[in-house]
Amino acid sequence: MISVRQLRKTLGTKEVLRGVDLEITRGETCVIMGRSGCGKSVLLKHFIGLLKPTSGEVLVEGEDITPLPERKLGNLRKKLGMLFQSAALFDSMNVEENIAFPLRESGLKNPLEIRDRVAEALDMVDLAGEQNKMPEDLSGGMRKRVGLARTIVSRPACLLYDEPTTGLDPIASDSINHLIRRLQKRLAVTSVVVTHDMKTAFHTADRIAFLHEGRIYFHGLPADLRASRDESIVNFIEGHSGDSA
Amino acid sequence: MLTTLGRTALSLLQYLGELAALAYETCVSIVVAPIRWRLLMRQIVEVGWRSQMVVLVTGAFTGAVLTAQTYFQFSRLGMKSAVGSVVAVAMFRELGPVLTALMVSGRVGAAIAAEIGTMKVTEQIDALRALGVHPTDYLVVPRVLAMLLSMPLLVAECCAVSIISSYLVGVHLLDISGPYHIQNTLRYVGSRDLKMALTKGFVFGIVIVFIACHQGLNTKNGAVGVGRAPTEAVVIGSLSVLILNFFLSFALNIIFPGGV
Repeated sequence: MISVRQLRKTLGTKEVLRGVDLEITRGETCVIMGRSGCGKSVLLKHFIGLLKPTSGEVLVEGEDITPLPERKLGNLRKKLGMLFQSAALFDSMNVEENIAFPLRESGLKNPLEIRDRVAEALDMVDLAGEQNKMPEDLSGGMRKRVGLARTIVSRPACLLYDEPTTGLDPIASDSINHLIRRLQKRLAVTSVVVTHDMKTAFHTADRIAFLHEGRIYFHGLPADLRASRDESIVNFIEGHSGDSA
Repeated sequence: MLTTLGRTALSLLQYLGELAALAYETCVSIVVAPIRWRLLMRQIVEVGWRSQMVVLVTGAFTGAVLTAQTYFQFSRLGMKSAVGSVVAVAMFRELGPVLTALMVSGRVGAAIAAEIGTMKVTEQIDALRALGVHPTDYLVVPRVLAMLLSMPLLVAECCAVSIISSYLVGVHLLDISGPYHIQNTLRYVGSRDLKMALTKGFVFGIVIVFIACHQGLNTKNGAVGVGRAPTEAVVIGSLSVLILNFFLSFALNIIFPGGV
């Protein structure tokens, strides 16, 4: 579904990605883990063309998207859906208008069909009946759910989650983790989850990619990651900073 | 010294290049993407309709005070009847377009930069792109078209209300003869002055809206950046209007020469 080959990205003077190679197969849930600031979100934004690499290739369904101009990426982006870290709801629109936005933009005009599909999407994220609320009236967890409803309403083939549980309490995080898993089963989509939350990673992943020092340091099954004796991986999983008191 | 000058010149060129690229992208967008009529109507209300009060008050009081000052000078020379035409020509050819542009830059330019800037730092623009919507189509085009439609009308309103206020102050408050005031105004003001006012309004509208959209789209550094974007949009927009007005006055005076 998504292939990344020798991806390099420099932001300012810092080379954030230093030759990332990654293969995400259709239907799987791949979790990309790593320390804060290691370039996970930067990598994810390359999958949907929000960032252009310094060098390397990003292939989505076999097509290299890196040379495509912004206007030609529009159709490709409709195959992918992204949940942003901040949910990125349009604050001038209510919940219903936010979720209906991709439908209207894709040319759907029938108000009844739009209403039904919005209600269905809200039902999938356990927010039935919240259509008329404004984003400012929603909690962090609800905003993420509405963002997710807006992402899935147009039925993309692949869902990209950028830190889906960051800033949420443990119960809301757990609820989002279950939701990711449930949507993956119900919609049979490919999912890519960027997180540094171990619980999210082990709960949702079919495979885990560990991003370290700008490269994919480990890519395999969650059980293999847990069993690893590599110092960098163990320190990350167990949360050892290496600092002494 | 030379290095600093060179750096300033380069950054100015880069800035102008970015503005030109945005203008080009907007033209492409107008041609290839469908116009979002609902957004355009909303922006016309925001840019045109809601700016009327500030523009009308500006025009009315500028016309009034200009009439009074011109009267105080001209009355000594026995040229009271020329006050109306001087005020009208000044308003049409210079003050109407410039003052309207400055007020619109302060009200609308700041609002555009703040709104788009907030969307930028809260990832709403990335969300638009991720949903397959080009930000220029959705955010810039409706604002540009609304400004291009609204600015000439706002300038015309400003000039019209200033002439009315000039008549009221000159004839009813000062002792200018009404018929002479009207006759001289009509004699010395022609369609060339109106065309100059509307052309300036159109050009200033383009400058204000692209500067504001550019500031918004390039907002960085969270809340600090959102605070800075409208300020810079107003400062750069206002200075650009004032500088451009100088060159535009010379150029348009060739196309629409003044005098009878």
